Amino acid sequence: MSEARMDTLPPGENSRRLAALARIWNNAPGWRGQLTAVNHGTVGLRFIATGFAFLLAGGALAMFIRLQLAWPGNQVLDPERYAQFVTLHGTTMMFLFAVPIMEGFAMYLLPKMLGARDLPFPRLGAFGYWCYLFGGLFLYSGLLFGEAPDGGWFMYVPLTDATYSPGRGVDFWLIGVTFAEIAAVTAAVELIVAILLCRAPGMDIRRMPLFAWAMLVTAFMIAFGFPPLILGSILLEIQRAFGFVFFDVARGGDPLLWQHLFWLFGHPEVYIIFLPAAGVVSMVVATFARRPIAGYLWIVLALVTTGFLSFGLWVHHMFAVGIPLLALAFFSAASMAVAIPTGIQVFAWLATLWAGRPWLRVPMLYLVGFFITFVGGGLTGVMVALVPFDWQVHDTHFVVAHLHYVLIGGLMFPMFAGLYYWLPLASGRMPSESLSRTAFWMVFVGFHLAFLPMHLTGLLGMTRRAYSYPEQLGVHWLNLLSTAASFVLAAGTVAILIDAALCFRHGRPGRRNPWRAGTLEWALPHPVPAYNFASLPVVADRYPLWQDRGLAARTADATGLLGDPASGRRESMGTSILGGVPEQVIRLPGSSWQPLLAALAIAALLACFIARLYLGSVLVLVVLLGQFCAWAWTTGDRHAPARVQAGPRLGLPVQYACRNAPGWWALVVTLLIDGSLFASLVFAYFYLWLGTEAWPPAPMHAGADPTARVALVLLGVCWIAAAASARLMRRGGGRALALPLGVAALAGAGFLRAQWQAVASGTGAPGEHAYASVVWTLAGFHSVHVAVAMLVGLFVAARGQRGYVGAERPLEQRIAAALWAYVAAQGAIAWGVIHLFPEWA
Amino acid sequence: MARFASPSTLAGIAAPMAVWAVHFVVLYSLQGLACGEGWSQRGASWAMLALTVPALAAITWLGLRALRAARAAGAAGPAARRARFAAQAAALCAVLATVAVLFTVVPVLLLPACR
Repeated sequence: MSEARMDTLPPGENSRRLAALARIWNNAPGWRGQLTAVNHGTVGLRFIATGFAFLLAGGALAMFIRLQLAWPGNQVLDPERYAQFVTLHGTTMMFLFAVPIMEGFAMYLLPKMLGARDLPFPRLGAFGYWCYLFGGLFLYSGLLFGEAPDGGWFMYVPLTDATYSPGRGVDFWLIGVTFAEIAAVTAAVELIVAILLCRAPGMDIRRMPLFAWAMLVTAFMIAFGFPPLILGSILLEIQRAFGFVFFDVARGGDPLLWQHLFWLFGHPEVYIIFLPAAGVVSMVVATFARRPIAGYLWIVLALVTTGFLSFGLWVHHMFAVGIPLLALAFFSAASMAVAIPTGIQVFAWLATLWAGRPWLRVPMLYLVGFFITFVGGGLTGVMVALVPFDWQVHDTHFVVAHLHYVLIGGLMFPMFAGLYYWLPLASGRMPSESLSRTAFWMVFVGFHLAFLPMHLTGLLGMTRRAYSYPEQLGVHWLNLLSTAASFVLAAGTVAILIDAALCFRHGRPGRRNPWRAGTLEWALPHPVPAYNFASLPVVADRYPLWQDRGLAARTADATGLLGDPASGRRESMGTSILGGVPEQVIRLPGSSWQPLLAALAIAALLACFIARLYLGSVLVLVVLLGQFCAWAWTTGDRHAPARVQAGPRLGLPVQYACRNAPGWWALVVTLLIDGSLFASLVFAYFYLWLGTEAWPPAPMHAGADPTARVALVLLGVCWIAAAASARLMRRGGGRALALPLGVAALAGAGFLRAQWQAVASGTGAPGEHAYASVVWTLAGFHSVHVAVAMLVGLFVAARGQRGYVGAERPLEQRIAAALWAYVAAQGAIAWGVIHLFPEWA
Repeated sequence: MARFASPSTLAGIAAPMAVWAVHFVVLYSLQGLACGEGWSQRGASWAMLALTVPALAAITWLGLRALRAARAAGAAGPAARRARFAAQAAALCAVLATVAVLFTVVPVLLLPACR
């Protein structure tokens, strides 16, 4: 595709367009603008700044832990406080620092790197941020009430059930963490759609920056990996709050179910943290080797296979719980297999450096720290993947050393490299060379002196999570060394953050692209405009800036693609998934109060819940549903033309008319996430079945009685009616949607009635047995989906009456029909599990 | 069926590892079922080995198909080079998926199902 240019603009037209773009894209001024901002640059930087604030909080907790362990018999923290601090330290670092910080980097960088103006769902991104912030504060607010969680970051039952943890600490953990996880899930939807659809014209899958590949794989891993934990948290919370049984052996439950659900999330989580960091490494290495990355194809291969294999490792956290050896061996084998793709990546990076002319600037220095530390952590990882070795060191400080080598080596060093690498882009200034190098050596030396001895203290028998250790173990001098060094590490980390903050005000002004990098984000001028590119770039290489020296200047002029903001709307371009061929103009929403208000409503809902004011929760839920409807009503544009001019000789449809509309793919990804949640629940059902003698226990009974069969037929009616809506709309326009979607909603209501009756007839109260609990949960889970599909269907029918949906703008009808199809399929599976399986078994 | 997860698409790149994932889940579930329900341990081991054959066959088929697609795509123009890239990635994934399946199945040869 040739570059489209309009060199014959009248004088003054270019600056008029630039001013209009700035007016359209800038946040509103003042405090109001800060609270309503949805722009990816603003939201991304907020994620990063908040992530660092939580890093400091989690780090401060770690310092207390180290002080307590500095010498046997110390009294810095009493045992209860120690357990709380260990729990909060791990939880903060995993959920409130490591995952969000990488989402922040991705949200800030990806549109710039891919040549887009914004992410496809700006308000969703802002909503995710507020959920993350409020969820984190929710978790910490437990400290104010003297109810901090203390069950360890993995919250094992039975320690965390209502009998052994009667306070609210565990509730603060379950609710706060799940609240914050909304951000991870919304980010997964947003990033997948952005990477698949919102790349610059010409950026096919061969030319995508490796950071984008890494984030694509990571986002899919979040989509499949987070739901098991979300489900586990829901199950544990309803066991604690409403007396359901899932983990209590006396009534047919199984505490190991929690461990499975937790680690089904927990192990992919390690790679959800590492893969974005690996993406950062691939970007930084190419720039400082001053050559294209070696083995691009191999790195893509490694990212994809790591994404899969990381789901086959979860039981290696459970080697000591008494599972048969063969099952352990499966996970041991997968744990060793995952070293292969990781090794491929390391060799590709080394090959790039070998073949290039490495330039040892500060970001590169941090990468050297990454290589040394991460390879060490990887090697001890292969050691603990071996079952007999793991039995020896399980729950000792050897594992503490291993996991910190992997996480600090695999996340913190690359993240600091990325911080220094992109700081000139965000700030327009260069960081202090002397402070950043000193800080690196403090972090590097401090880290290794703190954690290397822990391998030895662990091998000598010092246990994890215990507030002290006997002097006879002979590890006190090593612990004193660890404590002293950990303060050097902390001081170095603080120095890095101070350096980065100072850079924004006092740094030496840098020029554009100070590292002479080749990827698109470095084409941007400083200060980076809110709209990123005045004209969208056209790409013909993996490193566009190295290949095309005029690109930066051209994209800063409003003379090319989408350079004319005549519509007065925020607009970006959508391209095809594989080839990067322009397909649609995506119109994006501007600043809005909706994200903040919705997150506040969720916070109020959860606060009522934890205070056991359930009626209040229900009232807030009604408000929240109203808010979501109001929010959704503002999407779409009934006056949008079917085609708009994106540039000379390039007319494109607006997204509401395009098959590959972002909203469609967002639905697909959302249903993947929901499907994973549902699969986790079905897994829980069968897991509980396998461990129980009588299923269902007498006098409960199951079976497809006539009411149950009526329910199934009504579910089929829902599906058929929704599927017919497409044809009816093609003939009769949006107004014709009322009939099929109304019928579907009525049939859905009938289904809820019949299914409730069918389940209630044979299943006892949920508190009696795990069977009843899991059946009621499965039925309730699906009923919520039916209710949501009814609401969505009626909403779309109303939109059809008002002209938002029609034959030329079919997107919302497609979403409603697909949602009904999914809900019907899920319902058929749930129906079979509830009514047929117990008879067959 | 030939168009299913075509090697020039993202689904095609992921397909061989998806086969690994299914094989892994089936073996692990079978092991849990056999031990939980008290089925014959020897029979379970043989079933696991037997189930490995279709998994390896599927991966081999996907890999060979990707290899052929990579050769056929050539290098004339960006679309052809893109198709070749995706097909090569799919073929390499098939190699790693084969290794991963073999890794999974080796313990079946060495250990009884439920001890």
